[in-house]
Amino acid sequence: MTPASTEALDLVFAALADPTRRAILARLAASEATVNELVAPSKLSQPTISKHLKVLEHAGLVSRGRAAQFRPVRLEAAPLAGAVQWLGDYRRFWAESLDRLDTYVKELKRKEGRRASKRQQR
Amino acid sequence: MPANASNGEAIADREVVIARTYDVPARLLFEAWSKPEHLMKWFGPVGWPLTLCEVDFRKGGRFRFAMTGPSGEQNQPFGGEYLEIVPNRKIVFDNAFEAPGSEKMIMTITFDEKGGKTLLTYHTLFASAAMKREYVGMGFAEGAGSGLDQLAAVVAAMKTV
Repeated sequence: MTPASTEALDLVFAALADPTRRAILARLAASEATVNELVAPSKLSQPTISKHLKVLEHAGLVSRGRAAQFRPVRLEAAPLAGAVQWLGDYRRFWAESLDRLDTYVKELKRKEGRRASKRQQR
Repeated sequence: MPANASNGEAIADREVVIARTYDVPARLLFEAWSKPEHLMKWFGPVGWPLTLCEVDFRKGGRFRFAMTGPSGEQNQPFGGEYLEIVPNRKIVFDNAFEAPGSEKMIMTITFDEKGGKTLLTYHTLFASAAMKREYVGMGFAEGAGSGLDQLAAVVAAMKTV
């Protein structure tokens, strides 16, 4: 229930706390892209996008390819999944517990019903 | 009352409310919350069964739980004291991990039965806004509004790749 790697999470959340960087991630979720391809649909300059990419890269959210000239940018899912898991922990803990409770009390109710109908038969 | 033990931070910044309706009478839900043989059947996320469950279900009585995860190792035990018990209506208890400096949360569960269905409201009051953030990550989830949705969409998209 307690986050494991706080530093890694801090980096991920800091990186996600910006609409441009989230838009970049959403774009990369579709496919990898070159910096120019990321610059084109935005109203931002190439150096600005590059700056955002550095933050994302530092958080481990994206990686850069080796193909010298274009170096496509790729989304890295693991830290994102970690962040989502952490965000959802307390609510998920209860959501799953309460699903199980729902199933369990229905079973209790059925058992009660069976006992009651047996009594009536006697 | 716990709500008065405020440290100056607004209650809203320290609380989480979860509500759910069940298709059974309140007394069955109250029963499920009050005895280890029941609690062990449902408490905890899937794959994390309760493997320690000691319950002294009366006002001032204590409980002590621990869950065992898929690794087979038992997690840090947690527990607290029942602060208020109103049969079939309400259970209030505090809860903390058994670790030095561990902050307490206070949980209030209310049972509201109508026509054979019961609305359960699970209210958690954390000791501080920071503790709430640690558990719920609310600073980000509720900030920007669409941030979490967008993040979830990104992760969903990744899964289909």
